[in-house]
Order: sequence, then C-alpha cells, then structure tokens
Amino acid sequence: MRVEVSRRRFLQGSVALSVIGGASFGVTSLLAQEEERELEVMTKTGTGKAKFVPTLCEMCVNKCAAIARVEDGVVTKLDPNPMFPKSKNMLCPRGNAGIQALYDPDRLKYPMIRVGEKGEGKFKRVTWDEAYNAILNGTDKFPGVTKILDEEEDNRSSFLFCAGEGMAEHTFKTFYSAFGSTNWLNHSSICLQTVASAYGVTLGAYPAADLENATYIIMAGANRAEAIVTPDTMTLFKRTKGRGAKLVCIDPRFTNTAAKADKWLPINPGTDLAFVLALTHVVLKEELYNKEYVEANFNDFEIYKNHIISNGYTPEWASKITMIPAGEIYTIAREFMQHAPRAIYYPGRRSTFATNDFQLRRAMAIFQALSGGIDAKGGLVFGKKLELGSHESLEPMYFQAQGRAVQQVTKANGKIGYDDCAIATGSGSWIAWRNRFLENRMPYKVRGMFIYKHNPMMNMPNTKKTAQMLKKMELVVAIDTMPSDTVMYADVVLPECTYLERTDPVNTFPGVEPSIAQRNKVIEPMYESKPVIEILRGLTQKIAKPLFEITKKHDMDVQDSLANLTPAATVVTDENATVPSDTNATVASTTLSAEQKEAEVFAEFDISKPFLESQEEINAHLVSEVYGEEAVTALKEHGVFYPNMKQFYKQTSVNEFQYYPEKEKAYTINGGAPKTASGKVECNLANLAEKGADPMPTWKDEYAFKVPKGKFRLITGRHAQFTQSGTANNIALHDLMHTNYIWINARVAADMGIKFGDEVEVSSKTGKTTIKAYPTEQIAPNVVFFIHGFGAESNALTWAYKNGGNDNAIIEDIVEPVYGASAMHETNVEIRKV
Amino acid sequence: MATYGMALDYKNCINCKACEVACKEENGIELGAEKHRIWVGGNEPDGIWPLLNAASAAFMPSQCQHCEEAPCEEVCPTHATYYDDNGVVRVDPDKCILCSYCMNACPYDARFVDSRTMTVDKCNFCSNTRLARGETTTACQNTCPTKVRIFGDLDDPNSEISVLLRTREHFTLKTHLGTKPKLFYVM
Repeated sequence: MRVEVSRRRFLQGSVALSVIGGASFGVTSLLAQEEERELEVMTKTGTGKAKFVPTLCEMCVNKCAAIARVEDGVVTKLDPNPMFPKSKNMLCPRGNAGIQALYDPDRLKYPMIRVGEKGEGKFKRVTWDEAYNAILNGTDKFPGVTKILDEEEDNRSSFLFCAGEGMAEHTFKTFYSAFGSTNWLNHSSICLQTVASAYGVTLGAYPAADLENATYIIMAGANRAEAIVTPDTMTLFKRTKGRGAKLVCIDPRFTNTAAKADKWLPINPGTDLAFVLALTHVVLKEELYNKEYVEANFNDFEIYKNHIISNGYTPEWASKITMIPAGEIYTIAREFMQHAPRAIYYPGRRSTFATNDFQLRRAMAIFQALSGGIDAKGGLVFGKKLELGSHESLEPMYFQAQGRAVQQVTKANGKIGYDDCAIATGSGSWIAWRNRFLENRMPYKVRGMFIYKHNPMMNMPNTKKTAQMLKKMELVVAIDTMPSDTVMYADVVLPECTYLERTDPVNTFPGVEPSIAQRNKVIEPMYESKPVIEILRGLTQKIAKPLFEITKKHDMDVQDSLANLTPAATVVTDENATVPSDTNATVASTTLSAEQKEAEVFAEFDISKPFLESQEEINAHLVSEVYGEEAVTALKEHGVFYPNMKQFYKQTSVNEFQYYPEKEKAYTINGGAPKTASGKVECNLANLAEKGADPMPTWKDEYAFKVPKGKFRLITGRHAQFTQSGTANNIALHDLMHTNYIWINARVAADMGIKFGDEVEVSSKTGKTTIKAYPTEQIAPNVVFFIHGFGAESNALTWAYKNGGNDNAIIEDIVEPVYGASAMHETNVEIRKV
Repeated sequence: MATYGMALDYKNCINCKACEVACKEENGIELGAEKHRIWVGGNEPDGIWPLLNAASAAFMPSQCQHCEEAPCEEVCPTHATYYDDNGVVRVDPDKCILCSYCMNACPYDARFVDSRTMTVDKCNFCSNTRLARGETTTACQNTCPTKVRIFGDLDDPNSEISVLLRTREHFTLKTHLGTKPKLFYVM
C-alpha cells in the first residue's frame, strides 16, 4: 500500500478534524468550575503596528532563536531569529506552532488543590496563597511538608525532586539544593545518559559533529531528518545525495533520514555494537587507522587491538548478528578511513536503546578516534564555550538529611557496585528509583515529591508503576503549564506560564560558533500563571520559616549554633561606624540577643534567598560580569550575544548568514587531543571492571536480537512534528498529523488481515495500548514502531486525550546495567486487530 | 513591478512541514487537512524490505505554481482570479462566487475552499501579509530548516533566483500543459 502520495490524500483518510473554530467539547472534570471554554484557535495576522521580541523556543530541547510578533498584546507570529549561530535562520513546525501552546485553551490557569481521589483529576481552584498553605500544612486529603518533615525528623531526603529538561530546570534545581534533599531525578536516565557518559569517559566530553565540513557520515540509530537537532539537521541535509557529503544511514526502519541518505542499511535492533566492533576489526586488521594520532593520543591501544582481533569481531561474524552484509561493513570501514579526518560516526543523542548502549557508544567513540577525526575540522569537535558569570545559590547543611536513596552493594562477582547499576550519577536512574520506592527497598521513607515540567506518567517505561508511585507519594506538588497525565495525580498544582511569557536563565551555547542566548519574555503571563522563579519565590517565602522551626527541633547542629553563637562566626557592621568593621563586629556580636542569634542562624537556612532577584536582574549580572553592559543590551535587543558579533554577523544570501569568519571558527581547541583527565583516548577502563562493567566494549551472546515467532520487537522514536508528550495537545501540530500509527510490515499485516487505519491492540508483559495501523515495507517483518508521546489519559487535554497509542504503557522497565538508563528497545510485543 | 517566482532546492527537503505551519500562522489559514496553501508530498520507497530504493522516496514541496498561463485565471467567470502587478496569481474574495471552475481547472490541485469566507483560496506568495509589510521573503522560505526555497524577482538578472536558474539545472511540474509555472525545482 502506498500512502502519502500527496499530503492531502493521506490526511483525507485519517483526519476528521477539519473544522475547529466554534466546535464545542465536553467540559472536563478538571475545569468543571469554569464557564464553557472559548476555543479561539484560529490564527490571525494583522498588518498594523507590531512589536518584535527576540526569544528562544521551548517546543523541544533545542532552544532555537525566534522573534515573536506581538500585535495589541497578542502574539501573532513566531519567525526565526537569524542571529543565533546554533539555529541559524529556521524554526521547525513545532517552533511555528508555539503560538498554539501559548493560547492552548486547556492550559493550567490557576493554582489548584486536589479535592477528589488521587489520580481522579478533581481539583478546586484556589489562590496562590492557599496553594502555598496547602503545601505547607496539607488539607484533609493530604499531609503538608511540615507534617512529613517533622515525622521524618527533618530528613530532607524524604522528598523527591524531579524536572524535565529546560532552561529553568536550573532554577528548580536551586530549590532542590536549598531544600536539602539528596533525591534528584531528571530526564537523563530516560534520555541521553549513556551516550553522554560513554563519550565523556572515552573522549573526555560529549562532542558535537562538524557536519558542515565532513565528507562521510555514518548515522546509526539517529534520525536527524525527523528528530531535529540544530544546527545538525539543517547543515547535513543540504549536502547529502551526491552534494558533498556521503551519508550512510543504519536504522531498523526506513526513516526520513534514510530517504535523504546515500545508502540505507537496515539492522537488527540492539546489534549496532557488533557493527561497530566489526568496523573496528577491519580498520585494525588492515591498518587503516591514523597511526600518528593513535601513537600520540591513545591509552591501551594494543590491549584494545588485541581484544578486537582475538575475539574475532570480523565483518563475517557481525553480519550474522546485525544482518548487514559483510561486504558492506568492509566498504564502510575503508571509505570512512579514506575520508578521515573529515569522517564522522555520528554520536546521536537519544534514549538508550539496548542494555549494551553504554558499550556501543564507547565503541563508536574509539572507532571515531582511530580515524584521528577528533577536535578537528570535519570530524567530532569540542568547540568553544563562552563562560558566564556566577550566581549565588544556597545549600544549607541539614544534619538530619540522609544521603541519596542508592545503596552500594557487593555484587555476585565480589565487585563493588550499586544495587541498580554500576555507576550512580547525579541525575539518578529514574526507573530504578521508582521501582525501589514501590518495592520498599528504600533506606528511609520518601513521602513527597516536587515535579517541575516533567511528565513521568508518559515519559518512562511502565506507566502502571509510575501511577502506583504517584499514588503512594503522600504529597505531590506539580509545576507545569498543561494538565498532563502526571498533573492529574498531583495534590497541589501550580500553573507555570509558557516560555513566551517568561524570561529564563541566560544560557551559553558552545560549539564551533559559540554564543550566548536569552529567552526574553514576549507577553505578560496569562491567567494567574507565573514563571517558576516567581512560583518558587512565593513558595519559599511561605515555607522557609516554618521549615526552619522543624530543623531547630531535630537538628543538633542548629541547636548548638543557637546556644553557642560565637562572636568569631559573625560579622555585623554598623553603617554609621567610623571604626574598622572587624573591631565593631566583635563588640556587636557579644551583645546579640536571642532573636538576633536566631536571625543569624536562620539566614543560613532562608531558602527564599536565591529567588529574591528577578530573572532579568540575575541574567544581567551573569553576562555583564564577563562581557559588560554591551552584552546585556544585545541579549535584550537581539536575544543573542557573542564577542565581535557586530563585526562578524552579516547576511550572505537571501537565506543565509555569517556568524564567524572561517578563521575564527573553533574547530580545534585542544590540538586534536581528547579532553580526558589523562589527555588520551581511554580504550580500557580498569575502574569500570571494578564496578562489574566491561572495561572494553565487548559483545555478549545475550545481546543478540531474538523475537519469538508471532511476536514483534517494539521500537520507538521521535518525530519532526511532535516532541514527546509535551506537544500532544497542540492543535497546529494535530493539523499535520492527527494521531500516531504503528508501523507494521505490509506483508505481515496482509497475512493478519490488518489494513491502513485499522485499530490494533499492542500488548506486552507490561500492559497494552490501542493504536491505528500503518502497513509499510519500511520496517522488518518482526519489528514494529510508533512514535512516543501519544495516548494521554488526562481528560483535561482536549486533543491528546486517548488519542493514539502510549508506548510506555507497554515498554518493559529494563535497567541498563552501567548507568541505570531505561533500555527502550528490549520489549517484544503481540499485536491483534480489534 | 516585478515578476515573482520561487526556486525549490527540493533535495534539501526533509518533509518536516515547518513551511505548512508557518504559512497557516502567517496567513491565517483555516486549520484542517483540506485547508492547505502549500504542502509536502512524499512517496514510500520502491521495493520490498530490506531492498528499498532510497532515491525513489523524494519529498516534493508543492503549492500554486503561479503559472504565467494559468488555467484557473482563464476559466474564472467573474475575474476573481487575476494576475497582480508582480505576476502573482491572486484571488479577490469579493468577486469569487465559489463556482469552483478554478479548482477543477488547476492541474496542481493548489486551490481549496475557505469555509469562513466561502471563497476559493490559494498561495499568493504572502503578498497581502509579509510582502505588504515590506518583507522580502515568504513565510515558508523564511522558516525552512534546510532552506529549500528561494523567492525573488525573475525580472532582475542579479536576483539570487535569477542567478540560480542560470547556473543550475531545474524543471517545472507538468511542463507539457503549457501553463508556464514560476515554481522551479532545482536538481
């Protein structure tokens, strides 16, 4: 079956959404107290007066620069901001659809507290003060922070803090640090933990790819035509198809990247490691590697070489595992080295696929290094970073706070590790943490959680378990813009404004063409929503003192300090004093009253301090400290700053701009050497072996791709028109694709009597979901695929509610053994027509 | 006075559909699958898995071709469809009686009915929005991640589009119909 011959015909069969304006939808329980909603989602354009505000997009994680056109206080268009070297002069469909995120009628508009059962989605609209009070003191439905902390004797780690990726994640993390918990989880372990760490330990950094100058690119398990990353996506696809760069795409399915590649080779899911080991074998055996580079920059090269050769990782061996013909592997290895150092094995930046993902990424990094294409034009590059100034935060010492809820154990082989994985990182392992919590394997009680811009219900494998976790948490506080599935389980909901209504922490963007960029507030926050910094300001001002009272009650250090405040510990100055302040201080502190003493100790525990200044003020300090007032002005007026921008930046064609002259570009910053502590490429990590992980990338039989007859391996991925669950309710994006479809091989589908658009039930050990079928030859007979982010269960989301299939309802929660990441492509599923 | 045209470096297209959203947001086009001034067409690759032909899976952005000899203009009984001073094929909603002759006459399927005004709508190169404000790019061109589109004046020999069409091989769609499209697909 051929679909999408023309865009219109494709949608004709699949979209019933032709008229939106004026249609009435059922009022959800979440918003039951509201009047009927006005669904004004038509776009409009005026040609009258407008103001233009430079900002940064937040429809995904890329942070592309946009210019918002504002007419009479209404954002009428988002255009690309050409001044930003990272995103150059583009906005993707999601970036364009940002207006509909701002004006989404389902947005969280007011603070709310839970009045129904947990997860039921029944809330009551309250004032901000009432919401803060509910967090502090609880209601008849849930306990407050004070009760929990008092009962847990001021163990601050009895609260979990988690956040999604975003420019204000840092602001929320400041709250976590000040609160004093040690339990922090973010997107890493369900995202790029293994790739970032593997490149980190092997090359010393997670590098960028100079796709502008590479002439040969292997893209395996990355899909830059659909999972858009700037600047990579824009740069790469102008040069493929016989136009300067040869792109070899390795993917189990025929993606848009495959369509734009010069060669596509399907591979069995989870077997990329065997492919890379075989490439390495060819290069070592035929001595095609850059000998000079290896000599100067490798540790344990001979050991690695011996490891690869003696294990017999030949193309013939890999061919049986991967299904890539041996001849192709020889060709690719040889071509890669011919093009080196302008050859790139693209690192990718997405979720962990298989349990061997960390070793795969290590093997990729070492293979790249063998070519000498490190810190070099046309290869992998570290790039330059423009430093920012510093901002003070507050990290009080809570004597009673317990360490992180991870346990170090002696493994079966007698090595030391953690009970979930070999290495525990600051970002934690989400599913391991969740499962430990559910199975009562915590070293102490965790009873509440603060969630910021994060949707655990949709974003990690095994939705059922996540729901159990949220139900078991006695106090759940959610800060978000949308009534997500996770928000439905909250006790207190605090509405954040969208990215177009707030200024976020200024950020630095390293690369060959480094810059600093700032998200500027475009319009005032709508409804009663606020930026997270203001939410935290209000909350901490409310809870700082009462929480200190609990600390006073349980914390012996604080009790001691209050009893014996020593003069030397304080510096109190009198503004009118003419005597030197140190003399004055001694005099003043000896005469401190009990209240003054308490005020002094409290100052160290006043968690509202980091949030006193506005974001605009903080940003101005951060940049003016290093680059002066010029940078502050540039960020306000243009959204972007880098030294010599005025000189360097110019338009070079109707579509293109120069950011740096060629000789100013930071292709090489480290003389070609890796950035590891030893200054060498680390082939053999002995300390990993101590933790029970392979010190060198090693293939194991258990990694082989196995699917029982009648079942399918489920793979998942990203999409150019949707960003996970965050955009699932965006009406302009629904206009492009109404729902997600499961890809199933056309011949297999025909045998099963499944036609395009048929509803099928997909089930695994974990659960099941229902989704429409898309029979196609673009996928193997024993593999199925659908994009992540659909199938929401929150009935407060008009367009996302029960629309499509939710992958995490069926993906098994399998923990990758080194960093505890979620292995997303290890689940076999069954399919039946419903 | 100019003669506007557009060159499409279509091999750059990754079918992300940024152009479609930008067009709708800029020009206030109705939502809905049938309401598109511009779109990206795509083919599934020829072959049977795993032997698929990548070259057969090209993405083709398409829209009104702004024909020099536009069949839609020829059949319009009320002169609602007209050529403006810049050679852009436009529709005057006040004159349109929704007879739909133009929709049938157009070989490129480039026209649709705006159900708010009950008139026929189509691409006008952002003439009453961006160009009217003095901008020099269309919304689709401006937002395109891989810079497929180059809009400009064909009368100006030094314009980027004129230079491009002099220096690179290109084709037009359904050339044999004699419509003389002003959308040029660059090879």
